[in-house]
Parts: sequence; structure tokens; C-alpha cells
Amino acid sequence: MTSREKILASIASNKPSLVTLPNVPIFEGDGSIERFKTVLEGIGGRAIEVASKADCQTAIDKYYSDLKNVASNIVKASVAVNLDTTKDILEQVDLAVLQGEIGVAENGTIWVPESNMLNRALPFITQHLVLVLDKKNIVANMQQAYDKLEGVGSYGVFIAGPSKTADIEQALVIGAHGARSMMVLIY
Amino acid sequence: MKVGLFIPCYVDQFYPNVGVATLQLLEKLGVEVVFPMKQTCCGQPMANGGCEQDSKGVYEHFVDTFADFDYIVTPSGSCTYHIKKHYDIIEQTPAVQKVRKSVYELVDFIENVLKVDEIPVNFPYKVGLHLSCHGQRGLRQANASEITGVRDGQISKLLRKLKGIELTELERNDECCGFGGMFCVTEEAVSARMGQDRIADHLRNGTKVLTGGDVSCLMHLEGIIKRQNVPIKVMHIAEILNGNQP
Amino acid sequence: MNHQNHPELAEAFNKDFERTTWHDETLWFVRQKRDKAVYPIPEFQDLRTLASEIKDHTLSNLDNYLLEFEQNAIKNGVKVHWAADATEHNQIVMDIIKETSLEKAKGRNIRLIKSKSMLTEECHLNVFLQKNNIDVVDTDLGERIIQFRDEAPSHIVMPAIHLKKEDVGETFHEHLGTAKGEKDPQILTEAARQHLREKFVAADVALTGVNFAIAETGSFVVCTNEGNADLGVNLAKVHIACMGIEKIIPKLHHLSVYTRLLARSATGQPITSYTSHFTKPAEGKEMHIVIVDNGRTQQLGRADFRASLKCIRCGACMNTCPVYRRSGGHSYDFTVPGPIGAILSPNIDLHKYSSLPFASTLCGSCTDVCPVKIDIHVQLYKWRQIVGQANELPAAKKWGMKGLAKVLSMPKVYDLSGKLARGALRILPHGLTHNQSMNPWAKARELPDAPKQSFKEWYEENRK
Repeated sequence: MTSREKILASIASNKPSLVTLPNVPIFEGDGSIERFKTVLEGIGGRAIEVASKADCQTAIDKYYSDLKNVASNIVKASVAVNLDTTKDILEQVDLAVLQGEIGVAENGTIWVPESNMLNRALPFITQHLVLVLDKKNIVANMQQAYDKLEGVGSYGVFIAGPSKTADIEQALVIGAHGARSMMVLIY
Repeated sequence: MKVGLFIPCYVDQFYPNVGVATLQLLEKLGVEVVFPMKQTCCGQPMANGGCEQDSKGVYEHFVDTFADFDYIVTPSGSCTYHIKKHYDIIEQTPAVQKVRKSVYELVDFIENVLKVDEIPVNFPYKVGLHLSCHGQRGLRQANASEITGVRDGQISKLLRKLKGIELTELERNDECCGFGGMFCVTEEAVSARMGQDRIADHLRNGTKVLTGGDVSCLMHLEGIIKRQNVPIKVMHIAEILNGNQP
Repeated sequence: MNHQNHPELAEAFNKDFERTTWHDETLWFVRQKRDKAVYPIPEFQDLRTLASEIKDHTLSNLDNYLLEFEQNAIKNGVKVHWAADATEHNQIVMDIIKETSLEKAKGRNIRLIKSKSMLTEECHLNVFLQKNNIDVVDTDLGERIIQFRDEAPSHIVMPAIHLKKEDVGETFHEHLGTAKGEKDPQILTEAARQHLREKFVAADVALTGVNFAIAETGSFVVCTNEGNADLGVNLAKVHIACMGIEKIIPKLHHLSVYTRLLARSATGQPITSYTSHFTKPAEGKEMHIVIVDNGRTQQLGRADFRASLKCIRCGACMNTCPVYRRSGGHSYDFTVPGPIGAILSPNIDLHKYSSLPFASTLCGSCTDVCPVKIDIHVQLYKWRQIVGQANELPAAKKWGMKGLAKVLSMPKVYDLSGKLARGALRILPHGLTHNQSMNPWAKARELPDAPKQSFKEWYEENRK
């Protein structure tokens, strides 16, 4: 008997009789841009409203003029990043500007599927991260977010603010291993 | 209405005044109370110690003592909770079921059976309320801070209406005192520390009289107060509601 | 070494009064953050109920959901492995590592980086791999700190919560060359970032835990704040994810319940910084899932205790527990400390962990804080009975209880014993009644005054 069979048999003989699966409602809630911004700022991120997607470039020029190596398929890029980009190049990326799909007002998180990442490692290895988000894709809470998602693809991440840790005496430090800062451009 | 008074074993032995106050209070509220002389204990000390099976005789004795009453009233949330929750290991005869259903903690009985929501007592002191966990979370006599930020409960409702009283606003409204039955000796270090921390919270926030619904918690806290020579007077809620003064 | 029980370790912890204060307040601060994150969500209690019921359902159909998960994961190009116990788990992980990376390593040690996984702690994976010449680097900051110090985690979410910044400063001075006396968390974290970036880039294999596995899609979810899981797996060629059988949930949209509960309960954040959904390996890379039993199916068979398998490892029961806060995670001497550990551990070794169900006042705060509504304090009570019946109670306590039970079932004997005891307390000198070695009560507390009359005696005199 393989371990697989052993485990499955043991579960079959130990599990209780079938319990009903509850229905998860789509809870209502405040899905406003204001709330999204406030919450995101509360978790160390920043949200800026821009007039249109085309204006993202202006915002990047304004806020990130000091950053040299920019990877993006939305604004002007100085580093080309794709699936095959090697670690040594990825390591040099200062700023990644990527498309976010769904924003959640309740927790300031944004869904980024693999198809928007250029390279799976990019959103994490970049020193700074900017996600651009269509304001009509902001929902109130996670029920609404998963309801809106059409599957999770091969890989996808809800990103909420910059990388952080409080592992030393519960003191919050922004910029643990991933992005040191995170901004959302809402258009 | 036939009401049986249950005075928990340690109250009977060490805090008879709490028993007296409970009896007098109920009498003032017009209740005819009988105290069955053969009563001993609800059996909780053994059960919490891992010897529930050894308690069965005590459980049966309790049921036998109180089966004839419409209500069983006791100045203890903890004993009430134990009877309601843990008398499930003996045969559920009609008598056992009746006893488990009709046992009431004193304040719960006053508010929800007698429907009394105000007691005319003058008590011009700053009072710190210690919520016993079994009363609060076991019997749901008070809100739990894990569930809501609104601090409210049966005992505080009655207390707030006493004349001249001021209630202490604690930093940790419902942190356990650390008594915990046998825990107070088997885990002496943590138990004592928990109690010390509760007293410190009351001291910092101005408690002059410490009260609560369970003598067990209060006995533990009073032990610390006396050892530390702290100017806090300990009174059970029954004593305050009965009009006793510190 | 003799295994020390909880009271002994807790007493040692409490010897340092100030540090105990600090530990209690630090954890209470996390509990308060949790409250602030929870109170404003109107449906929070509904979410707890849903989370609990979804898990109840899943456990009642666990074998089928595991099969569904496996089938979908395989379809996704993921390799699925099954381990009956810790030994098999460790062997499987090592075999994957060696098969995939031995050749590439060309004689040097294979480099593994890990994000947090309590399961691998439970299986003592690190020690096993290191013995087999695999370099293991924990990348979660807290885990890295305790790895340097060769300690066990003292908390499942904040592994180094028992340490002060001065302690971390010293450790980093020794291992990372930070300045002596440097204790600024910002600077220490930056040092760890630089140090670990090198490790991320150099790693051959990345291992993660699993927060949730979705039967419907064959995906699994990993939640971190630091981004260490994603950074690791997306740079390494091989990703190994280790999960206990209880991590399954049926459908993707069920995540909407758990992702609203987990971080709020754990740290008071609205959600973790990264909630990563892994479904298929990237092109040219490998993804493995190791599904582990290690005592879980046995717990599933214990009707009174199976709800413990609903745990989503948020650690809220630790932060809220007044005993944990004043005894520290190491006093439990089990991978998962605190209230949840005290109901999981007796299933693993009843004798060794027999003191843990008693390391509680049964205050019930753990049950009320638990995002999946595990009746933790009820289970603690029930484990006590099993410890009692298995003859694992200290003899004095056992016979004391039996004696007490006898006395309390015989009213006349009870009355007389009470009278004698009170009489003795009144007559005996304070030094004797409060002797600290004979009476632990008296170490920090006075005994109540022993009144002349019991209530019963008063009643007989005044009301009969």
C-alpha cells in the first residue's frame, strides 16, 4: 500500500459523515476610490489619481525621475524584461510599472496575474513597484474580487502595499525582501 | 416559584458573608429562598483537573439536592457554567436536564427571571468590575472583546444604576485573572503574574472597590491585594447589591 | 535531557519580571491591532461562521477533495507526492532536491531557500537536510534570526517574538557583521535584505509552505508580508510546496472568506502584502507538492478534537492567551505553541505533552478570537480528561482529586472537613499556613481569612 493509498484510506475511515457546504454570499461594501486610497496608505502604499492611462508616464517622470532602470510594458522602459531575462539583470531593476487588474477597497490589495508581470520575479525583485489600475475595477471586498476574477491563471498575486516585516520587536519596517515602495496610479 | 440557593463550597467555607448577602438580597427582592442543607459542591474542581469521571458522584449528589426547585440560584458564574456545560457525562434523566436548565447565576436571575433592572442602593465609590471568564464567555453575561469593542454586560448594567457609583475604565476589560481552579497552584508562576497584572490595571485606573460575580477570581485577586498591601477593597457583587458598604 | 513540563518552563520565564511584562505587552499590542482590524468589518462574525463551516464540510469530504486537488494539480503540470509521516516527508523533499539539482550543483552543496512553513518545522526538515549536505536558508526575517541563533520559533506567525531588538542586533553583529550595539530594526532589516538577496539569487531550490490548497483548480496559495516566498520560487528552478492534508478548501471563491480573516486575525493587517496563487510552473521550471499526514488523519478520527484541523495558523490564540503571553512560546516545547498547540500536541505524544492542556485557565478567549471558531478551550478541557484517564496526572493530584470527590459527595464529611480545615487555618501560625514550598498559593498571595462559621452554620443559626 502506498502512502497515498494509506492516507486516503485513513481519511475515509476517520472522517465524519458529510457536512453541508455553506453558500458564501457576495457581501456588499464600500468600493470607493477614497476608501481604497485610505486603506492603501494605511498599509504603507500610496495612491495617486491620474486623468488617463496615458498620463501614467507623467506621474512616473514626476515621482521616479531618480530611478534609472525601469521595466515596464506601460511606460517607457530602460530595461527589457521578459520570460527569459536572467537573474543578474532582474536584480538591477529599480522600478517596475505594471498593470493591476482588480483593486480591493477594503484592504488596498491589487490582483496582478502572471500575464501582466513580464517575468514572474519582477514584481518582487524590483526595488520599487508601481501598479496602474482602472478605477472601474475597484471593488469593495474579497468576495467581490474573487467573483470578478475569471480564474487565477498559471500564477497570480494579490499585492497590498510594499514588502514589509515586523519580525524585530513588532517594529514595522517597510522594504523587507520585495519592493521598498509601492504606488498605485488610478485612472 | 420555588428557589433553591446554592452556595459554592469555597464560598460556604471561606466567604460566608457572600452567601448571607446573596440570601438577603434575594429576600429583599421578594423571593422565597430555600437553602438545602445537604449541598456540597458542583464538582468543577476535579473535572477541570482532568478527573471528570471522579466527579460523577458529586454531580449526582447535586442533582439529587436540587431537583425539586424551579430555579437554582448561585452567586457564581463559574459553577453555573459548569453545571450547564459539563453535566453532560451523567445520564440525562429528567431531573438532570431540569437542574441544568434551571440553574442561574445570581445577576442573570435578577435581570432575566425577576426582571429587575435597578436596585436602590447608594454606593459612592469607584468600582472596578472583574469579569469572570465563565460568566462572561461561558454564560455570555457580558460582551467579549474578541467579538466587539462595546463593553457591556449584565453586571455592569446593574452596577451603573447604583447611586453615586463610578465604574473603572480598565485597559484590559476582560483579561482573565489567572485563578483557573487548580491552575492557581499547578501553574503558580503564571497564575500569580496574571493576577498581579489585573490588580495593576485596577490600581492605575483608580479602582477603590473591586467586585465581580465569582468569589474564586476575587479570592485570588484579594490574596494578591493583601500580599501587596494595595488599597483596594474586595466585595462580591451580591454584597454591593445587598447594600453592604466597604 | 529530561523533558521539562510547562509549569517549570513557565516559572523560569517568569523569573525575569520586566521581560515578562515586555513579552505580554508586545503580544497584547498585536491582539489590539487585531481588534482594530476586526471591529469595523460588519460581517466579521459571519465570515468566522462561514470559515468554520467550509472547513467542517471539507474535513467531512477530505479524501475526495484531496483527490480532486491532485488530479487538477497533475493536469497543471505539478508533481504531487504523498508522505505518511515526517520521515517520509523529509526523504521526499531531499529526493526532489537531489534529483533536480545535484547535477547543476557540480560538487558544491545544493542551496535551498525556504519561506515559512510550520509543517517543515514539525518534521524537523532543516536538520535532516543539513545532515545530508544541503544548505538551508530560512528567508523569513524572523526565521532567519532564529536560524542564526539555532533556536526554535516561539510563535507561528512571529517566530522571533521572544527576542528583543538588542538580541537581534547581537546576532546580526555576529553573523552579518552589523555594527556592535546596532539595534535599529530598520538597519537590521536592511542588513538581512542585502544578505538574503544574495541567497535568493544563488538558490537552486525554493521551498514554501501552503496556506490554502484549492481542490477545484489544483492551485495553492501562499501568504507573506515580506515577499520572500515569491522572490524565492520565482528565481529558483524548482519549487517545492509542503502542505498538511488539512489545507484544502473546495473552491477558489472560498478564498474570499479566508483572505479576509487570516491577516486581520494574525497581525491586524487587512490582508498580507502578498497573497500568491500558484497553479502551473513557469516554463522550464518544476513545481512539486508534498501532501503530508503525520498524525492528522488520526486527529480526524477523534470526534472531540477533529476541529483542531480547521486551524489556518493565524496565531491569534497565542496573542490573546494570557498564559502564552506570560510564559513564552518555548515553554510549550512543541512546534505549534499556545492554545492551539496545546490541543494538537497531545495527539502526537500524550505523555510528553501531558502538561499542556493544563497550561490554561480555560478562559475561552482563544475560542472567541479564533477565525475558524475552533472550540479550543473546550478541547483543552477534554484533553485533560484523557490525560487523567491515561494515568498521566501527577500522583498527588490524582489521589487528591479522588479524595476530594469522595468528600464532596458526602455532605456530613464535607461539613466536618471544612470545619476542621478552617479551625486549623485559624490556629496555625501564618508562617506555616503560608509556607511556600508546601503551599504554592502562598508564594504571591495571602490565604483568605478562615471564618469561624461557614455559611451553612450561619444559616442553621439564623434561618431555620
